Amino acid sequence: MARKTVFVDTSKCTGCKACTVACKEWNELPAEKTHLVTSYQTMKDFTPNTWTYLTFVEKYQNDTMNWYMRKAQCFHCAEPACLKSCSSDAIHKTDSGYVVIDQDKCIGCGYCVENCPFGVPKVDEVRKKAYKCTGCIDRVENNLTPACVQTCQPGALEYGDRDTLLPKAKARLTEVKKKHPQARLYGEMEMGGTTFVYLLLDSPDVYGLPLNPTMPLSLNLWQDLVRPVGTFAVGGAAAAVVVGVLGNLLKGRYSSGSEKKDLSDGSKQEKGGER
Amino acid sequence: MDISRRGFLKLSGLSVVAVATGLGLNPEVVEAKGYALKIEGSKKIPSICHFCSGGCGMLLYVKDGKLIHLEGDPDHPTNAGTLCPKAASLRSVAYSSARVTKPKRRAPGAKDWEEISWDEALDRVAKKAKEVRDASWKASESIVNAKTGQSEVFEVNRAEGIAFLGSAEVDNEESYLISKFCRVLGIPYNEHQARI
Amino acid sequence: MSPSFGRGAMTNSWSDLQNAEAVLIGGSNCAENHPIAMHWINRAREKGAKVIVIDPRFTRTASKADIFAQIRPGTDIAYLGAIINYLLANKLYDAQYVLNYTNALLKVSPDFKFDAGLFSGFDPKTNKYGVDTWSYQLGPDKKPLKAETLDDPDTVFSKLKEHYSRYSFETAEKISGIPAAKIKTIADVLAKAKPATILYALGMTQHTTAVQGIRAYAVMQLLLGNIGKAGGGINALRGEPNVQGSTDMANLFNNLPGYLPAPISTDKTLRDYLVRNGSIQEKPLVALLKAWFGDQANKDNDWGFAFLPKLNPATNATMVKVFELMEKGQFKLLFNIGSNSLVSIPNRQLVRSALTKLDMMVISDLFEVETAQFWREPGVNPADIKTEVIMFPAAFIYEKDGSLTNSSRWIQWKDAAIKPLGEAKPDLDMLDALFKKVRRLYAGSTAAKDTPILKARWNYGEEPSALKVLQELNGYDETTGKLLPTLADYLKAPLGSVSTGCWIYAGVTGNGNLAARRGNTDPSGLGLFNNWSFAWPGNIRILYNRASCDVNGQPVDSKRKLIWWDSAKNLWVGNDGPDVVDKTKAPDTPEGKQAFRMNPEGVGRLFAAKYMSGLPQTPPADALPVIGIRPAGLCVDGPLPEFYEPIESPTVNLLHPKVSQNPAALVPSAFPDIQKRGKPENFPYVLTTYGIVEHFCAGGVTRNIPWLNELMPEPFVEISKNLAQKVGVKEGDKVEVSSARGKVTVYCLVTDRLQTYQVNGKDTETIGMPWSWGFASLSPGPSTNELTIAALDPGAGTPEYKVCLVNIRRA
Repeated sequence: MARKTVFVDTSKCTGCKACTVACKEWNELPAEKTHLVTSYQTMKDFTPNTWTYLTFVEKYQNDTMNWYMRKAQCFHCAEPACLKSCSSDAIHKTDSGYVVIDQDKCIGCGYCVENCPFGVPKVDEVRKKAYKCTGCIDRVENNLTPACVQTCQPGALEYGDRDTLLPKAKARLTEVKKKHPQARLYGEMEMGGTTFVYLLLDSPDVYGLPLNPTMPLSLNLWQDLVRPVGTFAVGGAAAAVVVGVLGNLLKGRYSSGSEKKDLSDGSKQEKGGER
Repeated sequence: MDISRRGFLKLSGLSVVAVATGLGLNPEVVEAKGYALKIEGSKKIPSICHFCSGGCGMLLYVKDGKLIHLEGDPDHPTNAGTLCPKAASLRSVAYSSARVTKPKRRAPGAKDWEEISWDEALDRVAKKAKEVRDASWKASESIVNAKTGQSEVFEVNRAEGIAFLGSAEVDNEESYLISKFCRVLGIPYNEHQARI
Repeated sequence: MSPSFGRGAMTNSWSDLQNAEAVLIGGSNCAENHPIAMHWINRAREKGAKVIVIDPRFTRTASKADIFAQIRPGTDIAYLGAIINYLLANKLYDAQYVLNYTNALLKVSPDFKFDAGLFSGFDPKTNKYGVDTWSYQLGPDKKPLKAETLDDPDTVFSKLKEHYSRYSFETAEKISGIPAAKIKTIADVLAKAKPATILYALGMTQHTTAVQGIRAYAVMQLLLGNIGKAGGGINALRGEPNVQGSTDMANLFNNLPGYLPAPISTDKTLRDYLVRNGSIQEKPLVALLKAWFGDQANKDNDWGFAFLPKLNPATNATMVKVFELMEKGQFKLLFNIGSNSLVSIPNRQLVRSALTKLDMMVISDLFEVETAQFWREPGVNPADIKTEVIMFPAAFIYEKDGSLTNSSRWIQWKDAAIKPLGEAKPDLDMLDALFKKVRRLYAGSTAAKDTPILKARWNYGEEPSALKVLQELNGYDETTGKLLPTLADYLKAPLGSVSTGCWIYAGVTGNGNLAARRGNTDPSGLGLFNNWSFAWPGNIRILYNRASCDVNGQPVDSKRKLIWWDSAKNLWVGNDGPDVVDKTKAPDTPEGKQAFRMNPEGVGRLFAAKYMSGLPQTPPADALPVIGIRPAGLCVDGPLPEFYEPIESPTVNLLHPKVSQNPAALVPSAFPDIQKRGKPENFPYVLTTYGIVEHFCAGGVTRNIPWLNELMPEPFVEISKNLAQKVGVKEGDKVEVSSARGKVTVYCLVTDRLQTYQVNGKDTETIGMPWSWGFASLSPGPSTNELTIAALDPGAGTPEYKVCLVNIRRA
């Protein structure tokens, strides 16, 4: 399958939150107790049961009101830190660009949680599993669009081949920039080019997004030490973890942040594949 | 909402085969294929949304008589498969534990409901309707003619003691029967949400 | 809209919004309350359409606007009047359209006057208008006199110009709080962008100037030539899933199905009824009586006219008034289906009190909504309440067969997808069973009052079939018992030979169940979708589409061709069903000219004159009152829209301080202890109330859906930063909002989306609250209608939910 993209055009998003419901409905995720956080936002962060939610930012400047709404979910990075950090070979990436956690393998170690530059995966402490947006991989592999994209009424979400959507996104940006000079694409290059590509109306930090999301240093060190020169190749492979590390992890040395170093000790390899 | 049926991503058929083969990359890892869809084997039945007046099409996935999934009807010209959050949540009404599933009666002064049968409930209502209708029947009334200043008696045939509210929340056929039921019984006091 | 165009429905459709060059959204927050609108508006935006949003708050809809104007709630007519004035003064109107398709040239009676806020004919004793002076000058043929030019001082056009000359941009700014320059910008956009469409909903109608606000839209759109065109129109976004259908079916005291006026006490006979309502109503009323009483309604018994109840014309039994009558003790039995009045009626204290006056309340719903449990609302002692309550479990939309009519007038059928939960049943079954039981109780009665019950035609099967009911709506040829194939067959059938339960639905099941059609091709690319379901009337998708053509019957917009006159075929044809009197009548014939065939003048009405077409030139020999053909729709509070302050207002009317509010507004006040009015000294802030996308109306369904409660878990009040500072609260605080009628405590949102504004030079604050909460459900919360005022529009009876005065303090 060709590399896929979901183009999130925030200039069209009305903040209706249908994507959140469609995600929960399709993925059988229960509702959680919430409160108003700020503006019309009621979900503060991802949880094991909330894989996508809406952020609302109000910006009033020069007598002009801007109300920025953004659907947050896993970006599905081309260079996923979660995958790289996974201790149990549970995270893999598809040719189509989806980063997926295999729940049969996940042991809930939390490395992905700590290493994701966007703070996406969350561990369910009872089930000892990490959860995040699957990209509706089951739907897309069966030629359906992701549930969030399917439901989006204002047409802010579009799913398709990256080669088709990126030029479209750029053309749209040119148009939107006339009214929002700070508008830009986010995800075209970031983290190797994420599957979810945003058209943001303002600087990423206004939305609470990192300006330059990066692979955590520890993971990069590990990458530099271990990986042969070349692209960080990921397509279609699941990360494998050597027995030694797994042993360490099983001894319970996986819960604190300092343990990240263990991942860069060179005793395990990253598996790759063709893009 | 059935939260016990919480599903996570399940790989079926050719699952990911992850093999550690040292430094070499593993070309044998198979692209995950054959993800099972929860809607497999279900029947797709179109319906219409029950919130605003958009009339968006919904597609209901029904398996063994159970509604297992609901999404926008892609063939519907108005919404082309999309749904707002309210419509997208409508599966949960089908089996909600908050639904009223039996007729109930609250006796005068009572603190709580008691369950009653459909037949008994209908009997009580029918008898009350007759009682109030008969007691409040107005066959005629006199009205002063503005032009002549004389009062004149007109036949009006109406039941003064019954009002009927409803409804923009029911189907046309039901709405029509409400209208017809009222007027045939002599009840002009039929109002509903369109007024507000 | 009915007094302007002849029909009260949304003129265009959801999918037509994509055709607009400009979209004015005023009185609608469609991104929240009609989300599908944004699907089509975003398409128009992508093609370059300008989106203008007028709202008291910067809403989710406003976030997608090119131009946003914050307006003081209830002042729309002020800025619209200024735009109308500007269009007229600068000749920015569509002259051909105005001349040919409106009543601009017709001469108004010299007795018509407007002075210091009052139109001629006002009776201060009754607070009602006599409408005789709001008429045309009639010729000997009893038709309106037509002037040669628009400049003739007697014309509707001249009256319009004079009336709106008082509305400058500056005056409008002082009233509405919208800067004059911004109003001008909006006017300039609308003057250029053709076609432009308007979307409105309850933001326009929930005022004591509801009808006049919509009339202002109508006047503006007629001047701009935007009615009857793809991408134009006035789109009344109806609130509930079947509110169009339930209005068509007349769950309203003043109508019978198909918009027939309800008979009143003084209508002794069908003839009396026709004297009032015109001969045009004879056929549909007789067809309705045939549908209801079959052979028992015949020529010999005046078609069963006596079977119908006649309401006293002085009883204006609108929704709020029903509760007032209930409080007075008139009603002993209330049926309440799919309605949650205890949350949804303004000043809900009246509802709370009135329900206790009933012997019995019968309720049918999915959930135990607040109204079902009024006897155990917190703070109430159930032992004190003697009302017996019977609750039926209702089947949900997808658990039953039936049809719904959406805002675009599409009658859409759906089959039951699953069985009803538990013992729930469709309301159809409940009503059918109940009627049969009532009829059995009356069996054998010979009393005249019971005749309609015993003789009614009521035959939908042992288990009632929704399709059979829809077929009754479609109608039958009573001589053959066959379904009427089309609306045309109904129209050409002799009087009394056909039945229809709702004549505008004729044709819906005549050739199979057309409401179930799923053809979704769109050959014209205009989003007409003619083969999807069935649109009333006669499958016309865009109303008044004759106005999309010039006088020769050719489309004026080559990109958006709806219909045209085919001179080779001698027929009106096109992409849409032609909305013409007769498809075979050429554009230059009296019938072919009519762009607004439902109006007695055949044109759009800038001035809503009193007029009845078809009156005889000489008095009839029998000296009986004469019967005309078709009466015009009237506004009870004036033939031209005029700005009036809301009933609770922070200021006085700048245009006419002595007549500050709508003089004809209905302000129910039978119970002064409940129906209180607040003053700005005590309640200095303007409250406006609204829905949000996460919940629906009174929340009876949505507050029982956990996924939605998660999206919006609690009610709130939104206030400006200035006001927050003034009252010393910050975001997240609990605040108490109070009005003369009650108080509630809610979460406080402090936002830039509401700004302090100037009214008559004085700083003014609007605060906003959604209203979808009540004490029951999975997500209870205080009801905003504790605060609102039940002041009513005199014509439509809609309450002024959108404006009342409140105070606010930290809780």
